[in-house]
Amino acid sequence: MRRIEQVRRCAGPALLSLLFCLVVSVPAVVDAQQDAPSANDPIAVPNPATELWRNVRDRESAETNDPGVRKIPPQMLARDLWQEVAAAQRDIAGSTQVEGPDAGVLINTQGEQWRNFRITQLVPLAGYLLGGVLVAIVLFRLVRGKIRLKAGRSDQRIKRFSVVQRSVHWTVAITFVILGLTGCVLLFGRFVLIPLFGNEAFSYLAIASKRIHDFVGPVFGVALLLQFFLFVRGNGPRLKEDIMWVLKGGGLLGAHASSHRYNAGEKSWFWLAMLGGAVVVASGLLLDFPIFGQDRAMMTFAHVVHSVAAVLILAASFGHIYMGTVAMEGAFEVMATGYCDANWAHEHHDLWYEEVASTAEPYPAGTGEAPVANPGSEQARSSA
Amino acid sequence: MARMKFYCDVERCIECNGCVTACKNENDVPWGVNRRRVVTIKDGEPGERSMSVACMHCSDAPCAAVCPVDCFYTTDDGVVLHDKDICIGCGYCFYACPFGAPQFPESGAFSTRGKMDKCTFCAGGPEETGSADEHRKYGANRLAEGKLPACAEMCATKALLAGDADVVADIYRKRVVNRGASVLDWGVQYQNQSLRDSAGLSGKASTSD
Repeated sequence: MRRIEQVRRCAGPALLSLLFCLVVSVPAVVDAQQDAPSANDPIAVPNPATELWRNVRDRESAETNDPGVRKIPPQMLARDLWQEVAAAQRDIAGSTQVEGPDAGVLINTQGEQWRNFRITQLVPLAGYLLGGVLVAIVLFRLVRGKIRLKAGRSDQRIKRFSVVQRSVHWTVAITFVILGLTGCVLLFGRFVLIPLFGNEAFSYLAIASKRIHDFVGPVFGVALLLQFFLFVRGNGPRLKEDIMWVLKGGGLLGAHASSHRYNAGEKSWFWLAMLGGAVVVASGLLLDFPIFGQDRAMMTFAHVVHSVAAVLILAASFGHIYMGTVAMEGAFEVMATGYCDANWAHEHHDLWYEEVASTAEPYPAGTGEAPVANPGSEQARSSA
Repeated sequence: MARMKFYCDVERCIECNGCVTACKNENDVPWGVNRRRVVTIKDGEPGERSMSVACMHCSDAPCAAVCPVDCFYTTDDGVVLHDKDICIGCGYCFYACPFGAPQFPESGAFSTRGKMDKCTFCAGGPEETGSADEHRKYGANRLAEGKLPACAEMCATKALLAGDADVVADIYRKRVVNRGASVLDWGVQYQNQSLRDSAGLSGKASTSD
């Protein structure tokens, strides 16, 4: 008890004096703080965390060019993580517990490019190209009319395509048309068909189109491969003849353009369809089976390649389909029956005709047969 | 109307994946589908940061722009949703999305993509609000019940913020200001002490005056 009393007796004045000191000194401290250099001045403690927080506050001044302002190394700037990731202009990948392609990527930097490509370039340009080709074909038809056999029909027919060749050609043709139509539904549908049918009705068409496109695609690929081997003979370049054919406009300019089994136009179509088709099939398979860990960059790239190549082939195919069906007398029956009219061969593939007629040998070996000679056919043709 | 947004405060995220779990639980998402994920940058190195990512409900949503069947729509709350009855599972939204939000369950032959699934901001879908169909296809509709997304509400460190963009931005801005008053820099902390409300248990940032 007595000791506590003593402490109290001593503590009283001591506390009072302490309080007095505080009251007196506080304004002085405040004054000193106001006079002191900015609170942003470095603290003389080597503490990286302190540096970091100071830079948080300094980031405004860090962007000025004032030489008086201390430059902050960029890695010390505690910027917003999104800003940092977005400014990197590349995919910044971290680690994540979620499995899946590109799960660790925070910002997909190619998505915007791909979106702009599809919306501002692919859809409108593909529309103009395909529409333009159709218009050009109609104009050509109006100007040129149907290409008739000048000599009329003969009673002699020449074997041009085997059953296997025709089967494969029509497999490729039918799957191609299906793929082209369903692909166009997916490419243009939103802009052309949704305004007409509405979202829900179009959705059924789109789902069917996607499924059909996915399943028919691989069939097309296999058929295309077979077609390459069955049709590559005769499609090799014959430079002099091909150049002359092109210079003569394929016979459209009036002068006769000679050609062997396939003219330069047919060869161009063959190689465009085969090489372009290979590109379309390869990129299509990448898109068709998204289960092999393809990442987003590869799939958007495959999509760009796929759509560009497909649109170009589609545009060219309009010309092929027109020439093979209604444009030219005697053309469709060749692929339908395998036989062509002797006069058709003479007028459009004269060098091939002469070869076949003179040798009466199969051309090319194994795929053709000798001319089917009706009784007195040679006389009949020459008299026609 | 409100403009709903997520914001993940990377100074607070501790990569606990609680948001991912909360989302899966709340929305009954199928196996293999992750509407939300936590990405860690510089894992194990100085400057490590973690961030929870899901659909950011863009104002100009790339997914909606590239969708060939136009199945996306934006609600009055600024939430980007899609109609699974219309979706054809083409994957274009996944190519275009900056944040990797669209997810595809494997379905059918050759594991083709099923209908796209993504974060709905816990706002359900086009089906009737609160219906069984809505829950089956899109998961919870917490917004209709006056609640915020489960991920943000479950976040233990309150790193993941969800709500009206103005409110979220305000909370984050005040956090940044208060972080300037770090314990590592006493002078500034005292200067800004008035910013701190000791009654901050309300869960809202205090105001400076």
